[in-house]
Amino acid sequence: MKKLLFLLPVLCIILFSCDKDENQNPVLAPDTYSFERNGLTTISFSGQTTRIGMGTELILAMKNVNNSKDLLLEMFRNQKEDGTDANPFTEEDLNASLKSIKSKVAASADLFTTNTVESALIKTDIETWIMAQVDEVFSSANQLAGIGVAGQIADGTIARYVSAKGIEYDQLVNKALVGALMLDQMVNNYLSLAILDANEQIVDNDNSVLEEGKNYTTMEHKWDEAYGYLFGKSASVAEPLLTLGNDDVFFNKYLARVESDGDFSGIAQQIYDAFKLGRAAIVAKNYNVRNEQVAILQEKLSEVVAARAVYYLQQGKNNIPIDGGLNYGTAFHDLSEGLGFVYSLMFTRRPNSPNTYFTKAEVDGFIATLVEGNGFWDVTPETLDSISEMIAAKFDFTVAQAAE
Amino acid sequence: MTMINYFRFLLFCSFGVLLSACNDNSNNSSIDTFDRELMLTHWADNIIIPRYETYVSSLEDLESKTEEFITNASVDNFDVLRSSWLSSYTAWQAVSMFEIGKAEENGLRNYTNIYPTDTNKINQNIAEHDYNLTLPSNFDAQGFPALDYLLYGLSEDKSEAAYLLTQSDRNLYLSLLVTRLKLLAEAVVDDWKSGYREEFIANKGSSATASVDKIVNDFLYYYERFLRAGKVGIPAGVFSGSSLSHTVEAPFCGVYSKDFLLASLTAVQDFFNGKSHLSNGTGESLNAYLDYLNTKIEGADLAVLINSQFDSARNKINSLNQNLKKQVETDNVKMLEAYDELQKVVILFKVDMMQALNIKVDFIDADGD
Repeated sequence: MKKLLFLLPVLCIILFSCDKDENQNPVLAPDTYSFERNGLTTISFSGQTTRIGMGTELILAMKNVNNSKDLLLEMFRNQKEDGTDANPFTEEDLNASLKSIKSKVAASADLFTTNTVESALIKTDIETWIMAQVDEVFSSANQLAGIGVAGQIADGTIARYVSAKGIEYDQLVNKALVGALMLDQMVNNYLSLAILDANEQIVDNDNSVLEEGKNYTTMEHKWDEAYGYLFGKSASVAEPLLTLGNDDVFFNKYLARVESDGDFSGIAQQIYDAFKLGRAAIVAKNYNVRNEQVAILQEKLSEVVAARAVYYLQQGKNNIPIDGGLNYGTAFHDLSEGLGFVYSLMFTRRPNSPNTYFTKAEVDGFIATLVEGNGFWDVTPETLDSISEMIAAKFDFTVAQAAE
Repeated sequence: MTMINYFRFLLFCSFGVLLSACNDNSNNSSIDTFDRELMLTHWADNIIIPRYETYVSSLEDLESKTEEFITNASVDNFDVLRSSWLSSYTAWQAVSMFEIGKAEENGLRNYTNIYPTDTNKINQNIAEHDYNLTLPSNFDAQGFPALDYLLYGLSEDKSEAAYLLTQSDRNLYLSLLVTRLKLLAEAVVDDWKSGYREEFIANKGSSATASVDKIVNDFLYYYERFLRAGKVGIPAGVFSGSSLSHTVEAPFCGVYSKDFLLASLTAVQDFFNGKSHLSNGTGESLNAYLDYLNTKIEGADLAVLINSQFDSARNKINSLNQNLKKQVETDNVKMLEAYDELQKVVILFKVDMMQALNIKVDFIDADGD
């Protein structure tokens, strides 16, 4: 290993020697995600921690049938309907904050700066589902669900609350936010060159110009904000993989789930290592190495969402009652999660490209197919397989690999 | 989570071992001509239906004892009622695994024995008179666990408990729950006797929807989720990391939790061995099927291994406190030890037996959210 480390600078020189303009400083990643200047940490991502906290409370509140539409919308917007400050959260720090989930949904620099139309549509999608949770599902909470009828359905021994099409909107919103908030902000915003290199940030970073009153350069901070959408609630900033999966119900949790599938084992470490090396590259002012890590992160973080989408569609398929029984609850739960991850596909980002793996139109097509007619009550295994195949075809895994 | 992953890993390893073992096997065994129809007939006529009949008659007794108590709430009648509850709850342990046919269609287990029971919900239902017991959200406000609360949870003093049960319409709820249990059980046994038995036996093939495949999966699912996890693993904190003593079965009366576990284990083992319900005779069974296939694991008969592992688990359980809640609270290590022995049966079942019988496991581990 040590030998390899010695080779690294040589490697960098070889790799970049023909590109005279580029910085050739060698980059050595530290053992952990731990960066200091003058003995103090330079890492900060409190805004991400706040938004994950707000999302956590929103999803929890969407499971309580007594909650009102106003409360849920206030949690999403952190504002009242008239635009004034709201205090919908149980955690006081969240109420004190003026940030919101909504302001960062479908709000990345790369995808939405000149596409506020689509951004607004996506925000509306999520608000529509939040409202439907109250209007369709909570209002039918005390009746049994059936084909075309919202209500309760048993998933094993517990009650799930579904729409007339079998959709659990809390699951849909939860998993849609993994894409529309966390993934989009990471791969299309904070890891985007439009953000990392904006204004005079390269020059400032080269000259170690710190933000006023802060211990970090703007570029360092942007990188950390991407990191914060994955590890913002982790017990250890430096070594977040120690508690991976237990720290939130969004990206952190589902990275752990994908990691636990043997076909993907190592992906969490790859993502962590890329974050670490990229951050070290910023400190070393080596933007080639940084950009290589961006590409790795865009690919791997996107792969997590895609693998999870396929996983839940396949689990849903496997849980559809085989003998015409009515025990659809487990399948509906899986398919609701799958629907949210499918929605999230529109934010997956091809590495070294301005494009996403799927357009919103393609994703909307999948969603329309999944919920057409009586929705999950009559979705066929063939449909679930076909969408699974279309997803997997764009990534470096098969449906079978993601399915278990 | 780590624990579950660990077991997955174990399963995975055993699977690898088995694959090679099985290949050896397939060379010297011919086509499977085991008489599945005979086995299904024995199961239906000598095990499943008789067990259900015992269960239904125990509920008829519970219903009449409930009526007697409501008419005359004496402490004597209360004692008789409690003891009838104990008999029917014990009889339930022998049928819970057969969640097939009408039982599956009606979700019998969900309406009969979901615990821990939600005492707030029960009190709310009693107070409001406006509730729908068919809703999944009321699974944990009915059945034997709710009766456990009504019969044992209102007061530690017996005469006061009997008195409180007559107050505030609690007796109406009691009566409603008991009658509901009886009607649900009767529907199942009636279905078996009016055509489902024949359908069950005729469906003797080997496919995901065939009777043998389905009931063996039900049996395995029951063992894994409701016996191993529900009665032992969850209270011992295997899945949560810290013990949860209030999640034992029948915590309000307390002292029968171990007996219910043992009754369940015996019912499972007897089914495996094809022991008739009303006699000591045995018939075609999973045990016999494995013998027929000459299934061996490293030279030992799989059926023998399974029975001896059942016995190891029973020995561990016998050493536990009658009250599993107390056991968890005083010495949870013993609970964990019992769990470990029960878990070893899961591995023999789920990997070795299913592979030998060429039955695909039709349920998957939920991912927990």
